[in-house]
Amino acid sequence: MGGADRRERQRRQEAAQARLRAAGITPKRGGLSGNALVLTIVAVVVIAAIVIGVTITLKNRSAAAAGPAATYPVSRSGVVVAAGQASAPVTVDVYEDYLCPYCERLETTYKDQITTALNAGQIKVNYHAVTILDTRTTPAGYSTRAANAALCAVDATIWPQYHAALYAAQPAEGSAGLTNDQLTKTGTDLGAPASFGQCVAANGNAAAITAATKAAEQTPALQTDGSFGTPTVTVNGTKVDLNNSNWLQGAIKK
Amino acid sequence: MVGTLARLGLAAVWLASGLLKALDPAQTYVAVKAYDVLPTDGVSIVAGILPWFELALGVLLLLGVGTRAVAVLSAVLLLVFIAGVSQAWARGLNIDCGCFGGGGAVEPGQTQYVQEIVRDTGFLVLAAWLIVRPRTFGALENLIGRAAEPGPRHSKVG
Repeated sequence: MGGADRRERQRRQEAAQARLRAAGITPKRGGLSGNALVLTIVAVVVIAAIVIGVTITLKNRSAAAAGPAATYPVSRSGVVVAAGQASAPVTVDVYEDYLCPYCERLETTYKDQITTALNAGQIKVNYHAVTILDTRTTPAGYSTRAANAALCAVDATIWPQYHAALYAAQPAEGSAGLTNDQLTKTGTDLGAPASFGQCVAANGNAAAITAATKAAEQTPALQTDGSFGTPTVTVNGTKVDLNNSNWLQGAIKK
Repeated sequence: MVGTLARLGLAAVWLASGLLKALDPAQTYVAVKAYDVLPTDGVSIVAGILPWFELALGVLLLLGVGTRAVAVLSAVLLLVFIAGVSQAWARGLNIDCGCFGGGGAVEPGQTQYVQEIVRDTGFLVLAAWLIVRPRTFGALENLIGRAAEPGPRHSKVG
């Protein structure tokens, strides 16, 4: 609508109000009760949205906090962490990068299911820490340092808790990553001996981790659309679709 | 007329972006985290609330209830988004804004900070228009206002 229209309308409104005033009537301006009603509706809808968001968030978190404790055995085979009883009928292989945010989501979402299945001897899981995101920290190399620290944690017999702690404290891509001191403190807080810090600082598994990463990247069975990414999960050697939230339960029941 | 289009346009923006975020909570979490501003708990809370907050703004604008107030909330949220993208750009992070789903880190050189900020600024113009001129056609608040408007009778000055 044009400015002329608006001026004309305003003139008419003023004239109407002048007539009301002349008749001794005070027109109510703007419909206050209507305005209050509208603002109440806005407040109710916005608060309802926030409550929905908070409720969903808290529900997911309380489920994660009250998870089952890990009672399964953990051992190392080179740079691969073997979790669970060797006799378990289903073999799961997890390829993860400690800097990869989707790996953190995988861990957070399925940690309890995986721990329960490992405790019950339904599955065994081989954790392959790969380091495709080494260049995504400044300075580069957090993925490798974290993967090495996790292998140190196997030797310190704190692997399940340390693995979870690395994801709980996962730094953002583009950041500096956790320092060796922070990686060490996380371990000693979980009861690791003094040698853990030396193992973290030495980063002695770096070369083997890099070699294992290269090998994984070049394995066609692990690729999606011709390229390797994390997280990648296989069940008995076949890559699973992680968009299917039932991938683990389905594998156990088979 | 412009106001009506601005209202429905901004409603479409919030409904689309809110729905895409609500449908993929893990992706939304990753997108929020990539800004590297909030601690872990803050990321989960923001990622949990944001989709529903956007949907609420979208529904209210679509219906035309409290257009001016919702436009103010929209403008504030858009300014937060622009600030978030700007700080990521200034700090040299390489992320996708995750404005309409997606998000997270991208390869260096794949960032689209200028486009993202220009787009958000465009939405901000829509919100600003509605703050200045909230009266639009087909808005539910027109009916509420009229129903609540007293007839010509003596009444206290509000």
